[in-house]
Amino acid sequence: MLARNAESLYWIGRYVERADDTARILDVSVHQLLEDATIDVDKAARRLLGVMGVDPGTAEPLDAFSLTELLGYSSDTAGSIVSSISSARENARGAREVVSSEMFECLNATWNAVPERQRYARWVGPHAFFSYIEDRAAMFSGLAASTMSRDDSWRFYLLGRSVERVDMVVRLLMSRVSDRMSSPGWLSVLRSAGAQDTYLRTYRGAVDAVRVVQFMLMDRLFPRSVFHALREAELCLQQLDNRPTARVGAKAEALRLLGRARSELEFLRPEELLDDLPAQLEGLQECIREVGEAVSLQFFHAAPWVAWTAPEVV
Amino acid sequence: MGWRIRVVHETGFKYSSPVLETYNEVRLTPRSDQHQNVIVSRVETVPATRSYRYEDYWGTQVTAFDLHAPHTELLVTGTSVVETGDDSEPLRETDWAELASEHIRDRYTEMLEFTDYVSRDPELVRIAKGIRKDKEPADAVLAACELVRDTMTYQSGTTGVSTSATEAWQTGKGVCQDYAHLTLVLLREMGIPARYVSGYLLPRKDVAVGDTVSGQSHAWIEARTGGWWGFDPTNGIPIGQRHVWVAVGRDYADVSPLKGIYSGGTAEALDVAVDMTRLA
Amino acid sequence: MTPVSRAVDRRPARTRTEKEPGPESNGAGHEGGSALFDGYLEPDRPNPDAFDEMFNADGSVRAPYRQLHDAIAPTAAADLSARSEALDRAYMDQGITFSLSGKERPFPLDIVPRVISASEWSRLQRGIVQRVKALEAFLADVYNDAQIVRDGVLPRRLITSCEHFKRSAHLLNPPNGVRIHVAGIDLVRDQEGTFRVLEDNLRNPSGVSYVMENRRTMARVFPDLFTRQRVRAVGDYSTHLLHALRAAAAPNVADPNVVVLTPGVYNSAYFEHSLLARQMGVELVEGRDLFCRDNLVYMRTTEGEQRVDVVYRRIDDDFLDPLQFKPTSVLGVAGIMNAARAGNVVIANAVGNGVGDDKLVYTYVPQMIKYYLDEKPIIPNVTTLRCWLDGEREEVLDRLHELVIKPVEGSGGYGILFGPNCSAKELQKARKAIRDDPRGWIAQPVVQLSTVPTKVDDRLVPRHVDLRPFAVNDGEDVFVLPGGLTRVALPKGSLVVNSSQGGGSKDTWVLAASRAPEAERELGERGIASKAPVSGPAAEQGRELTVDQQQQQQQQGRDA
Repeated sequence: MLARNAESLYWIGRYVERADDTARILDVSVHQLLEDATIDVDKAARRLLGVMGVDPGTAEPLDAFSLTELLGYSSDTAGSIVSSISSARENARGAREVVSSEMFECLNATWNAVPERQRYARWVGPHAFFSYIEDRAAMFSGLAASTMSRDDSWRFYLLGRSVERVDMVVRLLMSRVSDRMSSPGWLSVLRSAGAQDTYLRTYRGAVDAVRVVQFMLMDRLFPRSVFHALREAELCLQQLDNRPTARVGAKAEALRLLGRARSELEFLRPEELLDDLPAQLEGLQECIREVGEAVSLQFFHAAPWVAWTAPEVV
Repeated sequence: MGWRIRVVHETGFKYSSPVLETYNEVRLTPRSDQHQNVIVSRVETVPATRSYRYEDYWGTQVTAFDLHAPHTELLVTGTSVVETGDDSEPLRETDWAELASEHIRDRYTEMLEFTDYVSRDPELVRIAKGIRKDKEPADAVLAACELVRDTMTYQSGTTGVSTSATEAWQTGKGVCQDYAHLTLVLLREMGIPARYVSGYLLPRKDVAVGDTVSGQSHAWIEARTGGWWGFDPTNGIPIGQRHVWVAVGRDYADVSPLKGIYSGGTAEALDVAVDMTRLA
Repeated sequence: MTPVSRAVDRRPARTRTEKEPGPESNGAGHEGGSALFDGYLEPDRPNPDAFDEMFNADGSVRAPYRQLHDAIAPTAAADLSARSEALDRAYMDQGITFSLSGKERPFPLDIVPRVISASEWSRLQRGIVQRVKALEAFLADVYNDAQIVRDGVLPRRLITSCEHFKRSAHLLNPPNGVRIHVAGIDLVRDQEGTFRVLEDNLRNPSGVSYVMENRRTMARVFPDLFTRQRVRAVGDYSTHLLHALRAAAAPNVADPNVVVLTPGVYNSAYFEHSLLARQMGVELVEGRDLFCRDNLVYMRTTEGEQRVDVVYRRIDDDFLDPLQFKPTSVLGVAGIMNAARAGNVVIANAVGNGVGDDKLVYTYVPQMIKYYLDEKPIIPNVTTLRCWLDGEREEVLDRLHELVIKPVEGSGGYGILFGPNCSAKELQKARKAIRDDPRGWIAQPVVQLSTVPTKVDDRLVPRHVDLRPFAVNDGEDVFVLPGGLTRVALPKGSLVVNSSQGGGSKDTWVLAASRAPEAERELGERGIASKAPVSGPAAEQGRELTVDQQQQQQQQGRDA
């Protein structure tokens, strides 16, 4: 397929997942800020922004609402929900013939409705907006799953989605590393990922930091765990890479990086996980960044705009 | 009796940083007609390219090529061996009435129109009117050439490739390209179909067989007074055994020897070198 | 979630019609029925001489519109508005928009369709085919030895002075000889109701996507209208286009690779480019996705380079090849002209077609039809005065205040001057412009374009329309899409229909000849199986609790 379209699909996958996960993280965080009287609201909001890689750009004390404005509604904040939706839609606009009409209409209608939904949420509370985004993201991935052929376009989309999912789960955990082992915050981690029901069923109700982190990083069956997402990304890359088998080492850099990260998690003793959690998470984040670069080098060799010059000759 | 001349024309570009892609078209291939007979002609490039040839709207042989490997210099060489003919004679087979007829004006419309190079100027309109008076068309052509040669001073460096006839007229100085454009303005003002010719001139009359001299790219004009015939306004001579023509068109833009585009860096033109050898 | 079902008032208009059947002559301005048409034919409306397509001068309804009128007349204004809003919303959500001063707006689609009878259409269709064939022959002639000039039918000047005459297309003969793969012939209806050709578009006629989307959306939002009569389908345009593009490839290419070349997302017609690419199932590429090497055209894919055989380009000649035209163009593909000359790629539509749709050349099309086809023009031109002919120029200068002055190179309605609306100063300026550049101007009497009822606020009022049918030439036949794009000038009294100047569009209905037999259906030829199964098994259901079990469950704990 066209390199430019592959790149768009990859980014559609990433942006939609980013909007979805940001909405989930914000939803839980905002309500925690509102409900828990013991929290230093400004500090907590800044910590979350820091982990999401967003500069608050102000020394004014932050609260749940300004946090929502920044990370949710602002179209100036790179990585906010609104700018992710609009980037996803821009990418889909340039690649309409490789996404299905249903997928495009879903994204486009979501984008069109954003101003109205924002107004509504400012009135009734941010949850309305977050749940709208979560619903639309779910609808989008449902449409993708039911309308895309399982060809390279699907793989690029899924690759983007999985890569972003790893990144977002890592950020989610990073926002909690300083919490106490028995903090109720750990339950909110699970809730952000939509994992509380599965987790509670799996571990019969016991919520503690070690298990939550294990679950979110290493669970083999839960689709929003880092391990699961890494393996999905790895599979996509394996199928995309149809060059003859390399005799030594991995075939391509992106695949090597993902394989290493995945196997490190796979063969880590669960109890060692918490020993140096921040370093683990940073390592994963670095790996995701490198994977992004490697993928773009390997597949997206779309030419930059060529500026032509006509020299004068006598 | 004409001469046999070998022309080796080198031109090209030098780039400030390696260029990845370039597309070019060169017009360096003479054609045979009643004045000259082309024995052999080829265009080569360094780095080597696979070239493609076609004949353009004006009947000129175009060699097109593209290059996709990084390079810092592109050298194009056109080599031809041509047998030239005797001096051209003015043709006197028409009169002003026929030139003004709808049939002629429409048939040669492109050679009667003004262009960016062959530009209109009120002073030149007046001059053209003066030349035309009491002369038959062929003599008016010769008179126009003479006037341009008398009025202008040959000096390279004062005008560039994009100088128009009017601009050259105002400076009073120029090179063969400007002489040709100016003459074309006068002829077209008089209603004589006239066209731009690019080619080469072997500069010396006394060159011996086997001698190689440094020649030059040259330009002159052809007018249609019953039939096409050429004259060299820069030197005030008929087209003869020392002239090799390559292309004709409305003005320089239709016949430019090398044009192309590239991406990245900045380019400067290599010095053009034309070596001409009298072979017979 | 379908936006349509949210917004539409679901009361069926049809049932109400049956209860309250409008009298046959329930026409404009008549009491009874709904107020939608009240004052439609008011005598002080602008351009009262214009031909109204729905109503006769006496207020009775013309035959082709009778069914439509009866369906719409009883509708409540609020219902019509709700449907109209649903149209807009559907267009916004599907991204069928155009940008006006940087903002995306839905392309305005009017709720009342425009109707063309079967017999009218059959004549128009023949006329368009004739015109395309003559222009095709003209372009082939112009870019070879110009026999038509040698024979003195046209002056050479006419061609060489045309801005879109491309000398670099000289002798560039496409493998199957087709240069006009897609044509858009603009038609208007004069005061007598006669269709006339206003101009030809042989370069990149756009708008066909609106024809298809208008129909699809109308059928979703106002299905009731379609139940009364049979309208010819427009959905298979892309099939014909793909067929024509594949047929254009060199015969040696077994499975030609066709691409659509777009300037990019920010182009106003981007939606159309992507729709056509999607419907044809081909890649939509930008200039940077393609490159030429040794006169072969490739596109950059994730698996490396892939040969391209046919480029349906939607960018202008001047931007297509920086080597031949504007060197600064970043939209085009360097070297593609020489690749086409070498026979390795086909450019559709061909480069240089603009010489055929120049507005001055247009005035000579009747001569071309005679010269190349030895036929009489089926659809007449609009009477046109040519400023470059001395006699006609004098007439134009004399009658300037009553003529429409058009630049020959204009498109999109720019630069057009309505003599009757001009001040003395503007007329003076126009006179000078014509004297300075006679080749640049033509003049036509003001054609009062026909009117069709159009929804403005809560009423239906006459608005002027034109028609752009689309023709596709595959080298054997010229296919004309039934109908075409009806553009409507929305401001009161305006005769300019371009979307950049406040124009909208209408779904255009070509009525099928009385009850076409099923065998002649246009969409999807014959059924797959000769006999459809009469009945199938009922859908399977999972296990459910019986009523008895449910009751037992409910009763538990009641006593507590």
